[in-house]
Amino acid sequence: MIAMDKILTVCPYCGCGCGLYLHVDRGRLVGVSPSKSHPVNRGSLCVKGWNAHEFVIHPDRLLSPMIKDKGEFRECTWDIALDYVAHRLMEIRDRHGPDSIGILSSAKCTNEENYLMMKFARAVVGTNNIDHCARLCHSSTVGGLAAAFGSGAMTNSISEIRDAKVLFVIGSNTTEQHPMIGMHMLDAVDRGAILIVADPRRPQIAEFAHIHLRHKPGTDVALLMGIMHIIVNEGLVDIDFVRRRTENFDTFERILRDFHPHAVERITGVGIEEIRRVARIYAMEKRSMLFYAMGITQHITGVDNVRACANLVMLTGHIGLPSSGINPLRGQNNVQGACDMGALPNVYSGYQTVTNPRARRKFERAWKRKLPLKPGLTVVEMTEAAYEGRLKALYIMGENPLLSDPDLNHVNEAMKRLDLLIVQDIFPNETMQYAHVVLPACSFAEKDGTFTNTERRVQLLRKAIEPLGNSRPDWEIITELSRRMGYDMKYRGTYEIMEEIALLTPSYGGMLHHRLREVHGLQWPCPDVAHPGTPFLHRKKIAKGLGTFITVEFKPPAELPDDEYPFILTTGRIYFHYHTGTMCRRTSVLEREEPECYVEINPDDAEVLHIKDKSQVRVSSRRGSITVFARVTDRTPQGVVFIPFHYSEAAANLLTNAALDPTVKIPEYKVCAVKVEPLIKEDRRPRSIKIVDLEDLRIT
Amino acid sequence: MTKEWILPKGHLSYWLRQLRNTASLIAPLRVDGDIVFKSLENIHEVSLDNPALLPSPKEFLFPQQESLFWVEDGTKVRQLYNNEKRFVFGVRSCDISALRLLDRFYLEGYEDPYYSLRRKNTVFISIVCNNPDPTCFCIGLGTGPYLEKGFDIQLTDLGDRYFVQAGNTKAIRIIRQWKFLFNKPKRVDYEDQYEVFLSSKARFQKRISLENVREYILAGKVKDSFWGSVTERCFECGGCVYECPLCTCFTVTDRVYSFGIDRVRLWDTCLFKGFTRMAGGILPNEKKILRTKRWYYHKLIHYPDVLGGFGCVGCGRCTVTCPGKIDMATIAIKLRDLQDND
Repeated sequence: MIAMDKILTVCPYCGCGCGLYLHVDRGRLVGVSPSKSHPVNRGSLCVKGWNAHEFVIHPDRLLSPMIKDKGEFRECTWDIALDYVAHRLMEIRDRHGPDSIGILSSAKCTNEENYLMMKFARAVVGTNNIDHCARLCHSSTVGGLAAAFGSGAMTNSISEIRDAKVLFVIGSNTTEQHPMIGMHMLDAVDRGAILIVADPRRPQIAEFAHIHLRHKPGTDVALLMGIMHIIVNEGLVDIDFVRRRTENFDTFERILRDFHPHAVERITGVGIEEIRRVARIYAMEKRSMLFYAMGITQHITGVDNVRACANLVMLTGHIGLPSSGINPLRGQNNVQGACDMGALPNVYSGYQTVTNPRARRKFERAWKRKLPLKPGLTVVEMTEAAYEGRLKALYIMGENPLLSDPDLNHVNEAMKRLDLLIVQDIFPNETMQYAHVVLPACSFAEKDGTFTNTERRVQLLRKAIEPLGNSRPDWEIITELSRRMGYDMKYRGTYEIMEEIALLTPSYGGMLHHRLREVHGLQWPCPDVAHPGTPFLHRKKIAKGLGTFITVEFKPPAELPDDEYPFILTTGRIYFHYHTGTMCRRTSVLEREEPECYVEINPDDAEVLHIKDKSQVRVSSRRGSITVFARVTDRTPQGVVFIPFHYSEAAANLLTNAALDPTVKIPEYKVCAVKVEPLIKEDRRPRSIKIVDLEDLRIT
Repeated sequence: MTKEWILPKGHLSYWLRQLRNTASLIAPLRVDGDIVFKSLENIHEVSLDNPALLPSPKEFLFPQQESLFWVEDGTKVRQLYNNEKRFVFGVRSCDISALRLLDRFYLEGYEDPYYSLRRKNTVFISIVCNNPDPTCFCIGLGTGPYLEKGFDIQLTDLGDRYFVQAGNTKAIRIIRQWKFLFNKPKRVDYEDQYEVFLSSKARFQKRISLENVREYILAGKVKDSFWGSVTERCFECGGCVYECPLCTCFTVTDRVYSFGIDRVRLWDTCLFKGFTRMAGGILPNEKKILRTKRWYYHKLIHYPDVLGGFGCVGCGRCTVTCPGKIDMATIAIKLRDLQDND
């Protein structure tokens, strides 16, 4: 065994996809260091990356399959667990039909595993009920951008950021949530770029902004339409581009007339002058990049928000060039890949729709199975179906809906009603309490495969250590299960799965493992083995032919503050933690930094409510209530409070509203109405004071 | 006590092979576009002329994660020592200078047994820098590019041969084990070595005097508004501390397994607010500016006062790793410019 080995792999946290080395001392994981030649992180890492080695060997790791017996989990062999799962799944399929089974794939797993999971759902189980957490973060992007351009991903590369002249960041806390992208933005600002940030809160990135628009939560459509109204009025439209590369502009322009700056000012709370300045700066510079994240997507108008962004980009012709484009920042390390692989209810890998007979025939021929016709259920719809008893079994790989989904009390009830819940994960999580079977999977350090980062870079994940205990890589579990259900998937390694992906997925045509090994990955589309990858999209031509202006309308959030619930609650992540905390809360330094949930509240509001900094408060909505510590800060504007959603002991999602975007069904995590009350401290003075005479205490 | 020899380049791989027979040999290797220190499997793969970005060898004395002891049955305590003997080949002079400060922290007063054992078991073979990076500034600090003393074994590349210096009796003994590989240096060798020193010094792009910066700070000229603007750019990644060859912050945690408890020491950084968390959750350094400022004060004021040298050897690694570009060199240059304008 090698005394000190360093293995290049990909960070398991956010969508930046930083390259890092895992340090292995005689088979034990001992450290992490950044890759200095990697185009994204260039020798840097954020605190999560620097500590990515620790959670892997945490004592909580699930190391053996378990079956629930009389309310308690009992360890068993893989054979017993897999036979049980296969038998039960087939039983439920035969009795209630394949659509009574739902599958949640995972943005934390590799492309190969997501592809297999989607193949398992469609070819083995026979249902399109497959989805994953992208539904909760960027389904609006996939839906919105695909309709406008034919491709729902970052159009530029991260390394192009430093050459941009204008950066327009809307609804993204970049330096904390995509720190390495934040680094490139800061670099651009140092080199003279103008930074415009639109965010109701004041994230760290806003400290460097030349203009910070603090619009009211949920008014993004109005703000963006207002900007476009001015661009059209002042003749700043790139008419040539609109004519040659886009369609449907006239219809859109008519709608745009409704968004008069005065009306926009009233809706958003942002002054006309500010909006005008942004419109001019953004439109007049050619190398303008637009970035957005959850602040845009997690609304009932999520798709409209994305469409508005797309329209803005087309209107000004800021697309199809280096350092010029529209850039959704994907949250999970492989959420881009999980979407690309078709872990979605309506598409196969490469976004080939299940309703398209030609695509379906292609996959039917390759997989030698008849495939279901009807698009399946989304994450939140599966919960609903389970609640109503239509969904009998749920197979969850690497997700934790009992903390990440909105309106948790409802999800709780839904999970209880399932006949079969299979949880496949590396750690015990909140969802596991209702599981019938638990399958222990391997962490990122123990398996091979590929991750696709937010700039479409497909990178090789390399195995650094052997699987812990009895855990197995997810792809092996899926193939084993599939074999037991009568469909033998034969793969000798993940590279063989990738070969099949390349064969069936045009944009991944040239993504073979041996090619990815030589460089720090390749960016899709990469249609053949000689193709060098694509740093920026829509060059010379919009992917789907012409870019389409899609009309949007302003709709207020589903739940607005009223007398009883006077605050807008917006939720999100914080720098030291990540999603449901499965990994970071088992990392000592990260957990020590932010061990408790808190609510950010503006000093003016705090004063009115008599809330002191660090005191305990109760935050309640129509759906639930939690107790957290107050953090009084002007980062959050008046009338708005912010709670991170990482903490199961004070889950922000007990409060959130499960109102969905009508098209892609993304829940509105960013706006719901809450009330905040100081916790009345119990009188801590002792009830009766016994006076002890000092003389009595004296030892004689 | 320093002894000198000449090692013909043709003998190097044979010598390394012999060293590897007696202990584990770690050297810089080129993998996947980067240079990393790892166990050497093929001697010819060692990367000698490293133009840039060689990692710090701190991890071989003070690992990022190390088990200290193991508790079984609630009472039986077993201390875990790593008794492995190591040669770390190809280290830079600045890092050897950094080890001297690490030694003072871990060995003076209370002697850290884990560090101490690793230190005794590790021999560093350093190479005089003839190819400094644009980020390097050891030259202004006397911590490189070559050392007069303090090294175990120092090699100077003279083209067709190495000038070999052994800096302590242990090192001399190691060289003498394979005496037939080494020749006695001639006068011309000394001249050639000096020539290399001169040409190496001429290649530095940065010259920074931390002494001036220290005086400027001590004179009370640096306002909090300056530190505020520095703090704003801090990403709180901890990279500067993790990459620093002489930063010593660590935290201790217990991993409770069903079959025992593992007490682990992990790298930590004073740049985090929780690092100084007190009972009751009080955070004396909750404001970020206090922590950023302290890092510089510790390295520029406290180290010279207590240990007699700056807490910086000019390796330039924080310049590479800092996402906010508020590394030691950048700040020192900024302060110098402020001073010029005063």
